[in-house]
Amino acid sequence: MAQFVKKDDDRDEEEYSPFLGIEKGSVLQEARVFNDPQLDSRRCSQVITKLLYLLNQGETFTKVEATEVFFAVTKLFQSKDIGLRRMVYLIIKELSPSSDEVIIVTSSLMKDMNSKTDVYRANAIRVLCRITDGTLLTQIERYLKQAIVDKNPVVASAALVSGIHLLQTNPEIVKRWSNEVQEAVQSRAALVQFHALALLHQIRQNDRLAVSKLVTSLTRGTVRSPLAQCLLIRYTSQVIRESSMNNQSGDRPFYDYLEGCLRHKAEMVIFEAARAITELNGVTSRELTPAITVLQLFLSSSKPVLRFAAVRTLNKVAMTHPMAVTNCNIDMESLISDQNRSIATLAITTLLKTGNESGVDRLMKQITNFMSDIADEFKIVVVDAIRSLCLKFPLKYRSLMNFLSNILREEGGFEYKKAIVDSIVILIRDIPDAKESGLLHLCEFIEDCEFTYLSTQILHFLGVEGPKTSDPSKYIRYIYNRVILENATVRASAVSTLAKFGAMVDSLKPRIFILLRRCLYDNDDEVRDRATLYLNTLGGDGSVVETDKDVKDFLFGSLDIPLVNLETSLKNYEPTEEQFDISSVPKEVKSQPLAEKKSAGKKPTALGAPPAAPTSTVDAYEKLLSSIPEFSTFGQLFKSSAPVELTEAETEYAVNVVKHIFDKHVVFQYNCTNTIPEQLLENVIVVVDASEAEEFAEVATKPLKALPYDTPGQTFVAFEKQEGVLAVGRFSNELKFIVKEVDPSTGEAEEDGVEDEYQLEDSEIVAADYMLKVGVSNFRNAWESLGPDFERIDEYGLGPRESLSEAVNAVINLLGMQPCEGTEVVAANSRSHSCLLSGVYIGNVKVLVRLSFGVDSSKEVAMKLAVRSEDESVSDAIHEIVAN
Amino acid sequence: MLLAVLITNSEGNILVERFNGVPGEERLHWRSFLVKLGADNLKGVKNEELCVASHKSVYIVYTVLGHVSIYLVGKDEYDELALSEAIFVVTSAIKDVCGKPPTERLFLDKYGRICLCLDEIVWKGLLENTDKDRIKRLVRLKPPTEF
Repeated sequence: MAQFVKKDDDRDEEEYSPFLGIEKGSVLQEARVFNDPQLDSRRCSQVITKLLYLLNQGETFTKVEATEVFFAVTKLFQSKDIGLRRMVYLIIKELSPSSDEVIIVTSSLMKDMNSKTDVYRANAIRVLCRITDGTLLTQIERYLKQAIVDKNPVVASAALVSGIHLLQTNPEIVKRWSNEVQEAVQSRAALVQFHALALLHQIRQNDRLAVSKLVTSLTRGTVRSPLAQCLLIRYTSQVIRESSMNNQSGDRPFYDYLEGCLRHKAEMVIFEAARAITELNGVTSRELTPAITVLQLFLSSSKPVLRFAAVRTLNKVAMTHPMAVTNCNIDMESLISDQNRSIATLAITTLLKTGNESGVDRLMKQITNFMSDIADEFKIVVVDAIRSLCLKFPLKYRSLMNFLSNILREEGGFEYKKAIVDSIVILIRDIPDAKESGLLHLCEFIEDCEFTYLSTQILHFLGVEGPKTSDPSKYIRYIYNRVILENATVRASAVSTLAKFGAMVDSLKPRIFILLRRCLYDNDDEVRDRATLYLNTLGGDGSVVETDKDVKDFLFGSLDIPLVNLETSLKNYEPTEEQFDISSVPKEVKSQPLAEKKSAGKKPTALGAPPAAPTSTVDAYEKLLSSIPEFSTFGQLFKSSAPVELTEAETEYAVNVVKHIFDKHVVFQYNCTNTIPEQLLENVIVVVDASEAEEFAEVATKPLKALPYDTPGQTFVAFEKQEGVLAVGRFSNELKFIVKEVDPSTGEAEEDGVEDEYQLEDSEIVAADYMLKVGVSNFRNAWESLGPDFERIDEYGLGPRESLSEAVNAVINLLGMQPCEGTEVVAANSRSHSCLLSGVYIGNVKVLVRLSFGVDSSKEVAMKLAVRSEDESVSDAIHEIVAN
Repeated sequence: MLLAVLITNSEGNILVERFNGVPGEERLHWRSFLVKLGADNLKGVKNEELCVASHKSVYIVYTVLGHVSIYLVGKDEYDELALSEAIFVVTSAIKDVCGKPPTERLFLDKYGRICLCLDEIVWKGLLENTDKDRIKRLVRLKPPTEF
């Protein structure tokens, strides 16, 4: 971290820093000058600068420190010094005081907001909006609306940008400003128009008609800044995407506008238009040509940013329309030697997608020079592109394979080497001519390979493919070298590979036997065991016979059971007289549930955080359940609840239950712990009474054979329910078992036991159990992409509540959904609140919910619930949950 | 969103660091990533000549001005082009405040004013003002001239 030391650690006498030796403690001391009756403006400004320096270096203040500084700073409003006032605005924003503290400055700021000096107003607006909460916002709303249409562009912009920020926290209020914002869009000031356009679009983004109207009017009118023009192009392509379904006549609406933008004087606009055109759905080559032409010109620009932007866009186009980009190949080739490695890599991968067969050799020559000085992450991209190219032009395998083998010999990390090996393996499989040379390259690689994983993979692959080649004997040397030179894991793999050669090639058999016999003296038992096993199965101890089919199946056949399932089954197997039966291991491979569905024809939201992946506990449960034959037919596990305690703390037996929800089944997993050392419990089951859960029928029970002291075990009860029905109910539970006395000194249990039972708490299946908490990276985009088709809106009275916050949490818990964008937090004393929720309903249906709460003076809470989902019935179901 | 504005001296020590919408735990990673990027690529780069890179879905535009290096990081609508517009505003404002491409000492001498400029240019990740003359007046709380 030496490079991050603060500047003041540099002891340079000649150019010492004004912040030399700065320390938080002493600056906080200095901040006391803010309290002086005779304010020294210059000194105060200096102290604020020091505070800013500390904050800008990542220093943090404790709550107490921040509060103290904040209160002191508020005194500075008394000063008339303009420079100091500007600093005060900034430091208040940086300190971001808490909601109970802001009250002290609101009156000063309100005064500034109504000041005759425009710039005071602009700054006061920005500070107020930064520190405000919902209640205060309602009070100043009137001024903000005026400010939006203020003739001074600084004031208008301040209010508009504040609006963009506030829309995240108080959308209902900001949406009321749309008339003023609409007016500001027509402003003659370039930046006001830019900010107004951004805000107006955000306010109206769910109203397709309004966005379409906005785009229609602005594309005909004047747009004053390139930034605003870029926004307009973006909104235009959104309108085109949404309207293309309705327009089959051939003429694409607004295409002329986009094409016109290609001739704009600002580069930013040209790029935006070119990108918009290349991303049009079903774009034709006639439409593409003008965009590609301008992008091509930028490839030879002197500015790296423009070259980067051009090659990045063309790289994307090459994925879908490689032919359209071929005209740019010559310009692109000159970019291979670009100083900027990002540009060079993009150029190469584009060329690999667009190049023709005759140019491959020349291209490979150029890439070879380039590979030595880029990072592994870029190299992997190039290797992937070369693999695709080779599959496209199989006749060129020779030069491409040579290239791959050359880079395989060079320095590189595991991921890079693995990408190369994977590519060679794929080429060997798909291009028969490439097999022999490819295998030899791999053989040479394992002679000097530092990665055990890759060596074993290659040895396995050699065992499968090597015996089928024209001269299998030439590989034996490489394989046997592994037995001599490598670690135990690789040696064991090499023994297996040798055996495969022996089994498949009769002529090699006697010599293989000699080699395998040498392995009998290996110092690792796995290697010795394998050698013994193979010698016996192949008949190496006696005469040379033809290997029969069973042996080949044994050596080459796949296990046919997913290893994870086998592992779980073995872990669950309790050593009894009953033998482990491999046929009881389920063969179903569990796929990863819940990939976020992207609606077709709409631009993916991308760029944000990936959707929350199911947690590893869920994976563990899934494996556990699928290993139990009784439950293996239930299909994919939808959700597992957190454990719910069914016993009080510190009782004889501790039991909790995990609810596993499937489409048509519910499995209760009872985790039991016996806390009495003198007891052994056997045949433990939970007897469940489902008389208060009429929609459930018990279908299976899996008892726990033994529950010794302090070793947790599980017993399961499964219920069937109708698919697609939101079945809820209450279940009463009773633990039943046979208890045997244990002699604490010997640990042995008596032979005879006594039946006993133990009452547990009830368990429940509630609506939230059918909902998975899955967040979205951008709620607004997600909401928009779901569309209003299955939207259901209704209003509910929630009755008197303790607080708004309590009501919000109650609804979140009732629905069991994931709050988004921090909207689960209700500001203190606020009278209204909006909350955004997201989730996946059983059946893998994505659901989004917007909740708007209001509370009146008698603490009666009213709620508006808007639901969007991929399925009409699910939207209705959410309303039913709330209504009930 | 304009995710970060980072200004360092020529050795990579942080002078100004402002993040927007970047979680606290990722900031150190970004800081070291940017400093390394500059160390690898900014040698011999002329004043205000822009360099560009992308990392995952994020864009970075950076440059040298006198003895300081300036980095802007953005995503979504703040792509390499919007960032070069923004970095142009930042460099012109700094030149304006310092009177020339600054030495580190000059930069630190004008630190307060530079913070004010940055405050006018980027507000919580959104580009607010782009005109250097207007910014110059605004940081002194003078109204803009052109309306």
